[in-house]
Order: sequence, then structure tokens, then C-alpha cells
Amino acid sequence: MEDMIFYDRLQFAFTITFHYIFPQLTMGLSLMIVYFKWKFLRNKIEKYNNAAKFFMKIFAVNFTMGVITGIPMEFQFGTNWAKFSELTGGIIGQTLAMEGTFSFFLESSFLALFIFGEKLMGQKLHFLTGFLVFLGSWGSGYFILATNAWMQHPVGYEILDNGTYVLENFSALFKNPWLLPTFLHNQMASLITSAFVVASIGAFYILRNKNKEYGKLFLKTGVVFGFTASVLVAFPTGDWNAKNVAKYQPASFAAMEGIFETEPKGAEIVLIGQPNMVEKKLDNKIAVPNILSFLTYQEWDRQILGMDKFKKEELPDNIPALYYAYHIMVGLGTIFIGIMGLSAFFLWRKKLYTIKPLLWGIMFLVPFPYIANLTGWYVAELGRQPYLVYGLLKTSDGISPTVSSGNTLFTLLGFVALYMLLGLLFLVLVGKTIHQGPKPQKH
Amino acid sequence: MTDTLISLISIIVGIVGTNVFGLLYRKYNIGLIGNTIAGVFGSILFIKVFGRLGFDPVSIMKPRIFNAFLFVINMIVSLLGGVLLVVFIKKKGIK
Repeated sequence: MEDMIFYDRLQFAFTITFHYIFPQLTMGLSLMIVYFKWKFLRNKIEKYNNAAKFFMKIFAVNFTMGVITGIPMEFQFGTNWAKFSELTGGIIGQTLAMEGTFSFFLESSFLALFIFGEKLMGQKLHFLTGFLVFLGSWGSGYFILATNAWMQHPVGYEILDNGTYVLENFSALFKNPWLLPTFLHNQMASLITSAFVVASIGAFYILRNKNKEYGKLFLKTGVVFGFTASVLVAFPTGDWNAKNVAKYQPASFAAMEGIFETEPKGAEIVLIGQPNMVEKKLDNKIAVPNILSFLTYQEWDRQILGMDKFKKEELPDNIPALYYAYHIMVGLGTIFIGIMGLSAFFLWRKKLYTIKPLLWGIMFLVPFPYIANLTGWYVAELGRQPYLVYGLLKTSDGISPTVSSGNTLFTLLGFVALYMLLGLLFLVLVGKTIHQGPKPQKH
Repeated sequence: MTDTLISLISIIVGIVGTNVFGLLYRKYNIGLIGNTIAGVFGSILFIKVFGRLGFDPVSIMKPRIFNAFLFVINMIVSLLGGVLLVVFIKKKGIK
């Protein structure tokens, strides 16, 4: 049984990690494409239009990869998590179906119109199709997060005699206090990824002395969007999320912050340290006293419950992974504010395009927003353990009881091989698009 | 269980098939990106629409026995979906 849960979780973790590489870029990029197109409509400078179309190509490749990797996810609900789907399908089925019907179709239909329909529709309608792609993309994120928010903090449900969950209040799904802060935090994090991608392509063009005019435009836009989103992802959205975890999942909060023992007055914030699960303490700790209490409750002496106050079965089952994921996410978020803040400063001083170390830095930092986004999701998912639906349905009760661990392992190996192939194809396609660069419109 | 893997293999067959088709018949080559996107969406569309006739991934593995015949039909339909979408795009002169 333990083996079955382990492999089911491993397979889901692997497939969702690979899948989320793509939507996190498309969500942020769609907003930046709308910005480029809006700038073109306002000042009629062709390079903004070419920038919008260039990034829509990268968007299309990412969107396609997101679709390919999303289909197996849909199947996994039925194959690996049959019991979970059976028990909660009446609730999560609503939001997942809305995601497909309202958002995915909106996004994919208008993406095709944006790519192929510029001459046919004229510029204003072309802008509108770009805006609808953005709306579909963010709507998709909203409905998926509504599903996840219900799993993190279940509301508006009723349990029938046979154990299945049904919706008792539909609007509660969307008024869930977990949803809005998570959605805003997630979207800002996506915007950071896209801003770094746009800025890094700009830095690449400037360093290569190729498409320099576009290089400057991409870098400038990426830095402005990146700095704004880096600040917003920390405050207010990140702060709001952390307060929600402290309120609704106090055991997870203690684990992610690395609080093993409850302090009588005021909790310290841990900057660095390694969880020692044998002695139940943090090794080599560097911490600042009372800051965590202040950040969470705006009271210096407010007590925050440590892991010692919870039963073992209430605590997440992989505390070190949760702790490290959280600290990597926060650490990277701080670096993003620093690097984007510095870039924004030099942009203001009109020196950014000539500072080569900073341009190299921006270019090579591209993988890190992806890592931060993924570790952020690991925090949410590891923090919810040992539950699938927090406080109601244990992970061990949601798996498909008849699927053997060997079967799951075999499929997982298949996924690893095929995703490596897809990953290579993705790199070739995106590399080719970047190499070609934005093409000026032929008249 | 392996249904998930079959769905992925089906799309990859669509991608590879559409690109090979583009290489064999240059007239239907709309670039690596174009053929790949057509391969993905064409194969998904065809499998989602026609797979219900009995060769969707779940039916291929049902009941816990791998049905190679249905699998081959699935792959052919997937490939056809991608190829026909490229042909449609070229005929309509979209690209």
C-alpha cells in the first residue's frame, strides 16, 4: 500500500512538474503580448506589433506543449486517483469542466485567430483576440486554482451517506478565502517567469549584437514587468498567502517555517538552517527573533504554534522537503527583487544596455523563476499532506486500489522517456524562433 | 493505468507523422513549428472525436488487457488527424 501511494504521488509530481513549465510562461506572457499590441495601437510603431507577434509564436509553442502534457494529467485523475475522483468528482468536476469549457476553448480559439487573422480582422480586432487569449489563459489559472483552493480549504460541500462529497453552495467555491490570494500570487509568479524570459531574450540580442532595437525593447519591458511582479509576488500576495496558511493550516505553517518548538513569546524567522528530524531541531540555524510573529500577526510577542503542539498524523509527511521548497521559493523571490530592482535602477539611469555583467546575469537567471514557481507549488502540495482534501480525505484513501505500484512505475518510466523527447523538441522550437527573431512586417 | 501513456504516445505519433509528411511532401511543409502544432491539435481533435467509436486509450487497455489492434487504429487516426490538419491549413491558404 505504501509503495502504491509513493509511486502514484511520484508520477503525479513528475507529470505536473513538467506540465507546469509551460502554463506558467503562457499566463504571464499573454499579458505582455496584450501590452505590446496596445502600445502598437496607441503609437503605431511597427516594432511593438512585431514584438507581440514574435512572443505569440513562443506562446503558441508553450501552449501546445502545455496541451500535450495536460492530457495525461486528465487521465491520471481516473487511472491513479480513481477513489478521489469518485468521492469528490461532484465538486472538482465543476471547476475542471469550467476550465475546459470557458477558458481553454476561449484561449485556443482566439490564439489561432491572433496568429492567422491579423490581415483579416484589422488591428483593433486583432488586439481584442490577443486580449481574449489573455482572458482565457488567466481564466484557466483561476478555475484550476479554484479546484486546488477547495482541496486546500474545503467549503460549500456536503457529505452523503455513501461518503461522496457534493456541492451544497456553488458560489462558495469562488468565495473561498483561499482562492483570491493564491490566484493573485500565482499570476504574479507567472508574470515574473515571462518577464525574465522576455528580458533574457532582449539581453541575448544585445550581447550578440543582433536585433538590437528589439533587444532593447524586450529588456526594458521585461525589467519593468519583472520588477513590478517581483515586488507584488512578495507583498501583498505572498504575505496574504502566508497568513492564510497560518490561519487554516497551522501545522503546515510550522513545518514550512521550521518551527519545531513553540516559543512562549514571539516566533523567530529562520533565514538558513537544516531540519534535523531525529533531534527535532534546526541545525546551523540563522534566525531573526520575533520577526515571524510580526509578519504574521503584526504583534512582536504573539505566540506561533510549533510542530510540538500537533499530533504526528496532523503534520505534513515530508517536513524537510516542505521546509526547503519554501525557503528556496522565498530566497529566489528575494533575489528577483534584487536583480530586477538593480536593472530598473540602471534602466532609469539609461545605463542598463551597456552593463554586460548584468545582461549576462539576467540571461542566465531564466531557469530560476521556473524553479521558484515549481517550489511554490511544492509548498502548497506538500503542506496539504497527508490529506488530498485538507482535514477530510487522506491521500492514502484517494488512490486507485487496484493499480499496482509496478504498473505505475512502468508508466512513469514511459513518461520520463517521452517527456525528454518532448523537452528536446520544445527547446529546438523555441531556440529556432529566438534565432529567427521578430520579423518586420512585409508591405 | 497505461491509458495515460497511450494518450501521450498518440500525440507524439501525430507530431512525428505530420513532420515526416511535411518532409516527404514539401508542399505540405509549414515549418517545424507549424507542422508540430498541427500534429498536436489534429491528433487530439481526431482522437477526442472518433476515439469514442471504440479506440480511445481507455478502450485500448480495457479490461486490463492491451488491445494491439485498437492501439494501431488509434495511432493511424492520430497521424491522420495531424496530416489532414496540415492539408486543410495549406488548402485554405492560412499560412
